[in-house]
Amino acid sequence: MEIGVLRRDGRTDPFFDGTASDRLVIKRCEACDRWFAPDAAGCPECGEEDLGWAQASGAATLVTWTVLPKDPPAFLALVELAEGPWLHARLDGAARADLREGLPLGVAFEHPDEGESYILFRPWTE
Amino acid sequence: MGTSRGTSIAGLGMTELGRVYGRSPRRLAADAVRLAAADAGLALGDLDGLLVSHGMGGSPGIELAGTLGLRDLRLLSQVNAFGATAGAMVSYAASAVLSGTATTVACVFADAPLKPKQSAGSAYNRDAREWYGFGGMTAALGLRSVNSYYALAAQRHMARYGTTSEQLGAIAVATREWASRNPLAQMRDPITLADHQNSRWVSEPLHLLDCCLVSNGAIAVIVTSDDRARDLARPPVHLWGWGQGHPGHRKERGSEFGLTTGAASSGATAMKMAGITPSDVDVCELYDCYTYTVLVSLEDYGFCAKGEGGAFAASGALGPGGSLPTNTGGGQLSAYYMWGMTPLSEAVIQARGDGGERQAPSSDVILVSGNGGILDHHSTLIVSPHRKGA
Ligand SMILES: [Zn+2]
Repeated sequence: MEIGVLRRDGRTDPFFDGTASDRLVIKRCEACDRWFAPDAAGCPECGEEDLGWAQASGAATLVTWTVLPKDPPAFLALVELAEGPWLHARLDGAARADLREGLPLGVAFEHPDEGESYILFRPWTE
Repeated sequence: MGTSRGTSIAGLGMTELGRVYGRSPRRLAADAVRLAAADAGLALGDLDGLLVSHGMGGSPGIELAGTLGLRDLRLLSQVNAFGATAGAMVSYAASAVLSGTATTVACVFADAPLKPKQSAGSAYNRDAREWYGFGGMTAALGLRSVNSYYALAAQRHMARYGTTSEQLGAIAVATREWASRNPLAQMRDPITLADHQNSRWVSEPLHLLDCCLVSNGAIAVIVTSDDRARDLARPPVHLWGWGQGHPGHRKERGSEFGLTTGAASSGATAMKMAGITPSDVDVCELYDCYTYTVLVSLEDYGFCAKGEGGAFAASGALGPGGSLPTNTGGGQLSAYYMWGMTPLSEAVIQARGDGGERQAPSSDVILVSGNGGILDHHSTLIVSPHRKGA
């Protein structure tokens, strides 16, 4: 499906700095030792609104999924990062038969000609 | 016992619903309030409270009071709990009446997301050439529609409990069977399980026939004391109990997203206030933005065990002749999409015995649900044609 062009919004720039250099950078509250999605508005534990950024491992597992009837079908998912947060994400290289709760995934980085780099998650194969 | 302290719905007003063009949401809302007051045998000047629901397509705010020329109101607010708003408004209205804050409160929802020559789906979809930030990335990659978020929830339930698409289809079929008996319903042609299975994928595991309609229109109800309602034009629909549930599922490890909803706590609160258990409920009017929402609500309310909603639906319990008539007007799947006012309006109709061909055999205790966000917000009402405890 047509993705269009991704632009920065000024609030999640460290995430896109990360994707440009193949790193998954997400939000983190050092005080609470908790990780959050890149667009988290703050830490619900301590109230900190100015969360820091830190590099996540890129390892994840599949929580749940949906398939859009495109050509080819688009596999969309909720994934659980090893650090705990869930991200809405797109899967790449997945077949319907693979899909199950807990399927190991790894982050992959895409660098389009125009616009920001973005992430996909692929079934993890050692 | 002295004077009874109960509240009732005394009036119901419904505009034309569906592809209704040429009237703004504000005009539709005003029309619905006028119709509800007239239904109750009240003049607009008898209202001393007005609660207005948030909506999507330019729904009115509290300026609606001015549109209606209402004066000397003692209660006026806009309420927003998304699809749980109707139940929340009625509970706030009832609480205001019980406390003496106001005596006669109109609660109204209006929306007009449909535009002429536009598909129903596009009214709630996003599309763009350029996308901004992390949220924009998610949308660009394909998560652009509420349908997909509910599909994620439904798929999680299916993976965890073995719920099947055919079981979801049983809800669509039963709901349409009710709708075929409702002259107000937008979709009245009966469907089969095969029709459901053959309907196009919207976002797997949801077929088109798992998804609600989109409608323009407005619905209002009037809440007042039992004692006042008794003297009005229509038989009172007594409010036995209410509750809300906002589970606050975080998107992180351990979340119950898709598995349990706010129906669990909302229902427990409402049923405790009403002094009933699920086995006392004759009819359910459940918020059915999707077939899956009905299934998971039935579980969370305790009509069946967790994970058994699919088998319960497939048993035929929900349709005409079933043990738990559910969404007897055709719900939002087949009748009309007025958020929480869809189940509430049908509950009033059933409690009054006005269901005609679709009247449930017994309607002494009716449970009404509302669901908002992506299963983030829930409200419950228990209503009855009888006074509580009578
Ligand atoms: Zn913190």
